[in-house]
Amino acid sequence: MSAEATAATTPLVPVFVRLKLTLLGNGVRQSPGRAVGYVASAFAGLLVAGLVVLGLIALRGNPHAGALAVLLIGILTLGWAAMPLFFPTGDETLDPTRLVMLPLRPRPLIRALMVTSLVGIGPVVTLAVATGAVISVANGVVAAVVGIAAVILVVLVCVTLARAVATASVRLLTSRRGRDLAVLGGLFIALGTQGFNLAVQRLGRPDSLPVLEPLGNALRWVPPASAISAVDDAGHGAYGRAAAGLALAVLALALLLWWWQRTLTTLMTAPDSSTLQALEKDSTRRSGGGQRGLARLLPDGRTGTVMLRMLRYAWRDPKSKMSWSTTLGFGLLMPFILSLQGNRSVYTALWAAGMLGAQMSNQFGQDTSAFWMVASTISTARDAYEELRARALTLALVGVPYLTLVAIAAAAFLGPWSAFPEVYGLSLALLGATVASGATASALFPYSIPSEGNKNTAAGQGSLVWGSFFAGVLAAAALISPLLGLTIGLHVAGLHGLLWIVLPAGAVYGLGIAALGLRLAAPRVAGRLPEILAAVSKG
Amino acid sequence: MTGEMKNQEKTQERDGPGIPAGGAVGGPPAVRIEGLWKRFGEQTAVHGVDLTLPAGHFIGLVGPNGAGKTTTLSMVTGLLRPDSGLVEIGGHDVWRDPVSVKSRIGVLPEGLRLFERLSGRELLAYIGRLRGLPGTEVDKRADQLLDVLDLSGSQHKLVVDYSTGMRKKIGLAAALLHNPEILFLDEPFEGVDPVSAQTIRGVLERYTASGATVIFSSHVMELVESLCDWVAVMAAGRIRAQGPLADVRGDAPSLQEAFLELVGARGRGAGQDLDWLGGGTR
Repeated sequence: MSAEATAATTPLVPVFVRLKLTLLGNGVRQSPGRAVGYVASAFAGLLVAGLVVLGLIALRGNPHAGALAVLLIGILTLGWAAMPLFFPTGDETLDPTRLVMLPLRPRPLIRALMVTSLVGIGPVVTLAVATGAVISVANGVVAAVVGIAAVILVVLVCVTLARAVATASVRLLTSRRGRDLAVLGGLFIALGTQGFNLAVQRLGRPDSLPVLEPLGNALRWVPPASAISAVDDAGHGAYGRAAAGLALAVLALALLLWWWQRTLTTLMTAPDSSTLQALEKDSTRRSGGGQRGLARLLPDGRTGTVMLRMLRYAWRDPKSKMSWSTTLGFGLLMPFILSLQGNRSVYTALWAAGMLGAQMSNQFGQDTSAFWMVASTISTARDAYEELRARALTLALVGVPYLTLVAIAAAAFLGPWSAFPEVYGLSLALLGATVASGATASALFPYSIPSEGNKNTAAGQGSLVWGSFFAGVLAAAALISPLLGLTIGLHVAGLHGLLWIVLPAGAVYGLGIAALGLRLAAPRVAGRLPEILAAVSKG
Repeated sequence: MTGEMKNQEKTQERDGPGIPAGGAVGGPPAVRIEGLWKRFGEQTAVHGVDLTLPAGHFIGLVGPNGAGKTTTLSMVTGLLRPDSGLVEIGGHDVWRDPVSVKSRIGVLPEGLRLFERLSGRELLAYIGRLRGLPGTEVDKRADQLLDVLDLSGSQHKLVVDYSTGMRKKIGLAAALLHNPEILFLDEPFEGVDPVSAQTIRGVLERYTASGATVIFSSHVMELVESLCDWVAVMAAGRIRAQGPLADVRGDAPSLQEAFLELVGARGRGAGQDLDWLGGGTR
């Protein structure tokens, strides 16, 4: 009885704000690195916001400023909607299921969570950008008044949107699939940054703003950007349109709040997903044992077994999937990105071989602490050799056809065709060299890869990672030098008719150097199993 | 245990050669450890352990959290390199003769992961073939193990989606697949529901009945008392007592009491400052 009374009378807002501040403070206090990271990202965020605001103010009076302002608010809103999906751990107060055991009513809870959301860098940046957008389009007293309302509405809609999306997807985000999705957040950032870069470059040219008009016209009725166009309309005396724009934003806010409250209530009163999972029937889509399909084509024994697991992981494990897709994607794109930047050369196809070979380094880190299963079956250098060879074969199974494709594409598009044999031969040799250096690095410098989140190194291992990376690059460069020498020698001597030799020489050299590297690395692996296990289990 | 041991004193520190080793009289002990040390920085996790565990028994390694059980088991199974000391399994040195040792032991470690992006069945197929068993034999054994451990319904589910009990069971299946002589289990019942625990128990009892050795660590005394016929008590990185269950228990009413006395945790009061505790008014 007294408990209910206390819960009803204690104001929630200060409690939640204090919770958020404590969480922020503890996060920063966890390590100096995190503190620096936090301050740096806060500084960068505010700097970008400041620059955007200055740019928007400078555009005041430009006939296309409205379109740009609306577009910016649109992008900002999209960012707020996407953030909880890709960075679910970014704000621990976003997950209301942590509060499920507390006697809280939905309305006070929503109020408290809303105010909490306004604490942080994100809302400050949003406030700044919205203010800038309003300044760029506001004309006159009425527009200024509408502008103040618009800024408040934009911030509230963004924050509520993020909260509502987080609440609606919390089941997904706390499930395994959700965490897998979060791993892809890094890719999302990389693509976003590239897109942003391209857009800035495009818009940096004079007279590029009219390009935005059609997009701006479409977005001007989409809340919360509609509030910004309302400011523009109010300045031009179109009060009806201004009222409609503001009303749309208010309606959006009301709908979001309603949706948020509904999902919050359901979430806080419905059974947890782990309970539901137990009731789930397992799909018995397959029956019996043995291996089917293409897996049957793999060799017997450790080789085929390890290859099958590696291939399954490339598809099922988000970290492996991400690393394979970025390697294959960037290896193929790199020659063309470089040629767009003016470095047009058929030899840029070697990037693909180098990036692919880098997959071989830190093989056991990719296993995480499950490496103990491998370690408990390796008794001799021969076992270790077979293990490493199977991993290299998996790489070759995908890599050799892929490098063939890249070499053909490079010769076809970047030309000349006559360069194909040497580029292909050098690619194969480089793949062999990186397999050799990667296998050795896997044995001597293993490090752990955290399987959750989008970081690829555990705390305190950064120098090891970079050290191993540069050592690998140097070793691969040294290992490929004989073949590089041969190619350059043939060019210098003018023996272009003999350049085809590089292809068979590269293939044989690559195979030989890879085999030698694996042979040298195997006894190191067999002798260092506990050390490797300890290194890859950290973090 | 047998009547002849009734009047023996608690076997402190190392047991003498006079203690009958039970099932495998004459053969080498399942595990022989001498002067085992492990330090992590300033902290000494294992403090000169000497231990001889007889073959053919169900053996419990008990101790409070942080006693060094996991560290000891990791060093015995070859997953962690000791700073110094000797470990022999069935008479073979773990570090000098891994070929003989690794095929003889099965391990279920605590705190290390499995290849979780494989389904339960795929995991067994993987580890069995890695151990060099023929594919058809692996699949046959996997079928039976999945069936006995009540995992057939979830065999195609990824291990990452398994519950704690299911993970322990699939880990146990992976450890048993190659029919080892000695099975090392680190906290096999931790976080496991009673139904799964009973299943695991049944499998382990059947396994030891055929003459194999199980060595498992736990801090649940009731469990150890009901399962084991031989125990070693560990605290602060040292072996406090070892021997047949009845000997270690001695005159104490239960293993729990004997254990608390051995690790010196008796007589700690529940705290007199909590006089407000007891429900009712706030």
